[in-house]
Amino acid sequence: MATNLTINGETKSFDAPPEMPLLWVLRDILGMTGTKFGCGIAQCGACTVHVDGKAVRSCVLPVSAVANRAITTIEHVGSTPSGAKVQKAWLEAEVIQCGYCQSGQIMSAAALLATTPNPDDADIDAAMAGNICRCGTYVRIREAIKQAASGRQS
Amino acid sequence: MSRAMRILASLVVIAIVAVALGVFIIRGPGPLDFAGGTKVALADYRAGKPTGVPAKLEKASLVERGEYLAKAADCMVCHTKPGEKDYSGGLGFKLPFGTLYSTNITPDKDTGIGNYSDQDFLNAVQRGKRHDGARLYPAMPYTSYTYMSDEDVLAVKAYLFSLPAVRAKAPENTLSFPFNQRWAMMFWSAVFNPDTRFAPDASKSPEWNRGAYLAEALAHCGECHTPRNLGFALDNRKKFAGAITAGWHAFNISSDKATGLGNWRDEDLIAYLSLGHAPGHGSASGPMGEAVDHSFSQFAPEDIRSIVAYLRSVPQVASPDLPATTAPVAPASHKDGVTADARGKKVFASACASCHGWSGESPVSPTATLTGTWAVNDPAATNVAQIVLSGTKRHTPDGALSMPAFGEAYTDDEIAAVANYVTARFGTKGSKLTAKDVAELREQTAE
Repeated sequence: MATNLTINGETKSFDAPPEMPLLWVLRDILGMTGTKFGCGIAQCGACTVHVDGKAVRSCVLPVSAVANRAITTIEHVGSTPSGAKVQKAWLEAEVIQCGYCQSGQIMSAAALLATTPNPDDADIDAAMAGNICRCGTYVRIREAIKQAASGRQS
Repeated sequence: MSRAMRILASLVVIAIVAVALGVFIIRGPGPLDFAGGTKVALADYRAGKPTGVPAKLEKASLVERGEYLAKAADCMVCHTKPGEKDYSGGLGFKLPFGTLYSTNITPDKDTGIGNYSDQDFLNAVQRGKRHDGARLYPAMPYTSYTYMSDEDVLAVKAYLFSLPAVRAKAPENTLSFPFNQRWAMMFWSAVFNPDTRFAPDASKSPEWNRGAYLAEALAHCGECHTPRNLGFALDNRKKFAGAITAGWHAFNISSDKATGLGNWRDEDLIAYLSLGHAPGHGSASGPMGEAVDHSFSQFAPEDIRSIVAYLRSVPQVASPDLPATTAPVAPASHKDGVTADARGKKVFASACASCHGWSGESPVSPTATLTGTWAVNDPAATNVAQIVLSGTKRHTPDGALSMPAFGEAYTDDEIAAVANYVTARFGTKGSKLTAKDVAELREQTAE
């Protein structure tokens, strides 16, 4: 079935069954492999993308549910104001270790800053709890989010 | 007659009257007695055709008609163990006194119903009597199916006999004494099975009569939604007032405005039955999700409308355990709203918030919206805990949407905490589930 999606501001057209998870469409059909597959049941956060600005898990989201909605992925989040700030802070704080979970972490952090420009620890906990990092970079993630919010250098 | 004999005779008479009165009181009214109109025999009813298949299938073969009716009666869900062949039985029903397994109703001669004559099949479906004369347990809702016309029951048989025979023997039931005494079901059946066919009500519309037939004889709504009496039979004094079945709360579907369906619009009821979701009222899950997937979603639109017309006529019965209104949308920020139960909030943040949102209005899909659902407004939190334990899958015209099962991932304590947080944040009154309650819910679900 031909489907149209608005991804990163562009209309993409492709054939996919309506129940196919958005993640599969992104990675396998459109070749956008920046978004990662982790657990497949919305429990690790590696597949996080934005739908209408909100962080959602693309591994459980059927493509039919996001027609006519604005999807943003890690490939494009750097051109949003909060995404740009987060990416800059991430590099400055050298958050990343192995990196597998980090596109999901960045997407969740960018969505948080877009709605809560000055998050405190509780806000960060509430927004980032669904993003798991096997390397344990949580301390640097928290620091980088605060840096991104305040604009200060590490 | 001697004096002693006279006393004995009076005692016997008194005992018989007492038993008869007791039976009369316990049994209560039949499922359609509330309507109170003039009943006529099916054959004499000319205003419409309450039984059989919808008009589009009128000319279809017996097997096709039987398929529609088998789906309307939802035979498959109970007679199929997940992962096994359709209708081959073996699904376990966990009861407080043991486990009961559904039977193989494929036409296999050794392990199924291949040797059933038409009369055998009628006896089983309408009277709860097996081919070998043994009694069925009322987990098989024959006290509802008894209202099916012979013609419809035999159409179902023709459909079942058109399916491939599957050799599959259900495990032995593990019921404890006295429930393992099948013969005793003879008395239960004598008291609680009306053993009568559907009789249309001439004072009601043809649509109502069709709806009554579909809801009572086929879809057997009352088997889950009507509370049970002392004898484990349906208590129609509280018809459709809601009950706990297989560990899930089957909510009030009487016409009560506050806690039943009285305030649902027709289109909400139609959407809920045919798609398993009504905007603002939540999604069908657990046993009702199965009923939608395998049964109601296959109904002809006019049959769904008939059921709605019928449901509207069921007298109001209030559910005192439910709030009069459901809670509004919760605040968008995690900081506002309830702060109780830090542990539940932690679980919610990591496992639930990304799909359900902090406000309860899902950023993903209306089917995942918590606001307005009875599940989160039920202070017992039964269905919230159940759906967390076992997950759900909704099939919509646009594809399937599912929630993973968290039963293996979280402890009973964590599930109780998140259920209490969810009901407090998104419902009118928070629940107070304990780990023990969650452990019991795990026990009650069908295998």
